[in-house]
Amino acid sequence: MEHIQLGDGINLYLYETSQFKTITTKVFVQEELSKDKVSATALIPMILRRGTKSTPTTLELARKMEELYGSAIDADIIKIGEKQIIEFYFDMVSPKLLPNGEQILAEGLRTFGELILDPVREGQGFNQQYFAQEQFNLKNLVEGLINEKRSYAYQRALQHMCKDEPHGIYKYGDTQQIKELVNEEVFEHYQQLIRSNPVDIFIVGEGISQIPELIKEWSWHRSNLRQLRPAIVKDAGQVQEVFETRDVQQGILVMGYRANQNYLDPNYYSLVVANAILGVFPHSKLFINVRERASLAYYVGSSLDGSKGIITISAGIDPSQYDKAVEIINAQIGEMQAGKITEDELERTKIGLISGMQTMADNPASIIDRNVIGVVHGQLRSLEEVIGEIEKVTLEQVQAAANQIKLDTVYFLSGMRGDL
Amino acid sequence: MEVVKTTTGEQLYQKVLDNGLRVYVMTKPGFQKKYAVFSTKYGSFDSKFKLNNEIIEVPDGIAHFLEHKLFEDQEMHVFERFAQYGASVNAYTSYTMTSYLFSTIEYFDEAFQELLSFVQKPYFTSENVEKEKGIIEQELKMYEDHPDRKIYNNLLEALYHVHPIRIDVGGTVESIQKITVDLLNMCYETFYQPSNMAVFVIGDLEPTRVFDLAAEHTVNWFFKFQEIQRIYPEEPVEILKPSVEERLSVSRPRYYLGFKNQPYNAGRALMKQQLAMSMIWRTIAARSSPVYQELYSSGLIDESFGASFSATPEYALSIVGGETDQPEKLDQRLRQAIQDLQKNKLQVADVERMKRRALGNYLASFNSLEYIANSFLSHEFNGTSILDFPQILEEITVDEINEMLNDGLDLKNSAVSILLPE
Repeated sequence: MEHIQLGDGINLYLYETSQFKTITTKVFVQEELSKDKVSATALIPMILRRGTKSTPTTLELARKMEELYGSAIDADIIKIGEKQIIEFYFDMVSPKLLPNGEQILAEGLRTFGELILDPVREGQGFNQQYFAQEQFNLKNLVEGLINEKRSYAYQRALQHMCKDEPHGIYKYGDTQQIKELVNEEVFEHYQQLIRSNPVDIFIVGEGISQIPELIKEWSWHRSNLRQLRPAIVKDAGQVQEVFETRDVQQGILVMGYRANQNYLDPNYYSLVVANAILGVFPHSKLFINVRERASLAYYVGSSLDGSKGIITISAGIDPSQYDKAVEIINAQIGEMQAGKITEDELERTKIGLISGMQTMADNPASIIDRNVIGVVHGQLRSLEEVIGEIEKVTLEQVQAAANQIKLDTVYFLSGMRGDL
Repeated sequence: MEVVKTTTGEQLYQKVLDNGLRVYVMTKPGFQKKYAVFSTKYGSFDSKFKLNNEIIEVPDGIAHFLEHKLFEDQEMHVFERFAQYGASVNAYTSYTMTSYLFSTIEYFDEAFQELLSFVQKPYFTSENVEKEKGIIEQELKMYEDHPDRKIYNNLLEALYHVHPIRIDVGGTVESIQKITVDLLNMCYETFYQPSNMAVFVIGDLEPTRVFDLAAEHTVNWFFKFQEIQRIYPEEPVEILKPSVEERLSVSRPRYYLGFKNQPYNAGRALMKQQLAMSMIWRTIAARSSPVYQELYSSGLIDESFGASFSATPEYALSIVGGETDQPEKLDQRLRQAIQDLQKNKLQVADVERMKRRALGNYLASFNSLEYIANSFLSHEFNGTSILDFPQILEEITVDEINEMLNDGLDLKNSAVSILLPE
């Protein structure tokens, strides 16, 4: 990946390859997750995707993308650790496969730049109609978290676990705050983000060397560049248990652990391997013991947040099996901490992780998504480097990493009312 | 070995083995990943069939159950076999097919051999069959809490009288209790024969090597050739009931309008119907549609709104809808828009624009090994080839599309499914 500093805190990353049929572009504007600003930031991409200065209606924009051979243009919010990030996305068929390909590329990128930087304005704000409609939609989106029970349970567990940390904040904001947003203030916030916050542009595809020329025309009006604070790694306190009841068929158990290290720690990849032995693969301890042996769940697994050093285990179970599930899960952590891991488990997990990393190189969006994690932490790592780190991890290191893992929060969503 | 070149520059090699198994290999230079899928034309629809002149009816959800159980192995769990090679293995069951697949970076030959072998080697015991019931019960309970799945299944129960599409692919918590080792064996023997199956392999691979491996590892396949006679109930053209409503733990109402369409027969006609119907629905339910924009601006729909058309030779179905605060008002406006479209028809400029989009999406889809392989086989089982798509796209005319407006959007054969918050 070639890195070009465009100046003023704007970075460009180019990945030239003939492997794909597309050119994929993503632009990331980073912001700190904060209680005050989360909703305003979340609303910005929803408004921007409605139209641009020269294609002011959503209808015109959508039709233009169809004309450009089904190009995709979009904007959304992602969260990495304690960063709330606006992600802009543009994807089109490779110019070499299209008649007038170069013209389509230029036209597509011009529209993409406009979507980010030249919204439809009204007075000192965004187009008022777009603002109001998207404010309503964003509120519905946040309220709609309950519709996907698994995401809901995960988010609720995190909210309890990190109630005093930005990490506990939901990336799309808070209903009450969304209702109180004012167009001009959100617009002012948008301008500030564009002017001062870190911006990273990624492009993957064939024949992309002329693209820096094309995107130089984008005017960001940069000033007062900001440096964002990194995510904080916290120790586990006393274990808290949270029970929530809703009208659901299946119980969802989420257990949150603090691992005491993150992406920037020298032993980070021991933790990555430990988490994977525990619950990333169908040959991991959780899947084998909770699902295959005890027949308690259809899905069970663990995931690691590399910024915060937080591991979350989740499983969909029958509510009557709560105690048994918690017991088996705890036992797996115990096994890891006692070093009861076979050479086979270690090797299969490492090769599985490496294979997964290599697989990401076969998908343009995944190439970008893997690298943006490095960018957010200020430490870009090549695929080879990461693979090398994973290969080096020993059983002792895995055990040492496991011994730093401490239970912090147990959350259970179920339909059973009353005592548990 | 037969070779076809695609419009995107890939080569597709195909061959039928002596035992009747169809094998396809597409080469993708530059990709590190290799992907293989082994499918049988057997899904949740096939719960009634004729065997030795006897009509057999098996419990709903058995194809999916069988898919789970093929992962059982006498010595080592199938997941672990693939894990040795850093390969990841999975499977899925649909209405009309069951697919077993893996992807890997290294050790392709070994993993491919494992795939061919575990699908040929069922190991059902009453103990492991009982154990699976608990796991699948949790899978089905998870779907019970999925609003999209719920509203979809409810809609199908309103549209269809007796068609097996009414029943979830996984069956029900009750139906899976009736599954036994003997039933699984019978279904396996009936539907897992080479001539009812196909393999698709894709990656930076040597095709002759893949064909050799496929032949070598299926040479001892023990199967009894028997003719498969599926029995489908006679489904009336008319719908069962015009509307269905349920309450669930959701944030706001959800509205689906579904159409029981008549499927075209297999082959190019089916692919044409799929293309035409998807364009018809885009004219109402895509962001590039004035109807969509009007509904969106009036707050009746949001991003969740959309339409889909799906068809195999056994069924054809259109669904349009999404979340809304006012299901009745949306229903009214949508019916009006549908009638307007039937009257005003699709215009040449709209179709040309949608054709460009469809061509672009087709070309871009060749980025994904999984997508090519899976969609190739599902089309193959329907008697079509995805490689014919660019030609069909070029050939199709506005008139042909407009001819489908009458059956495709016939409100007489539609039903509404609504989910309401508690």
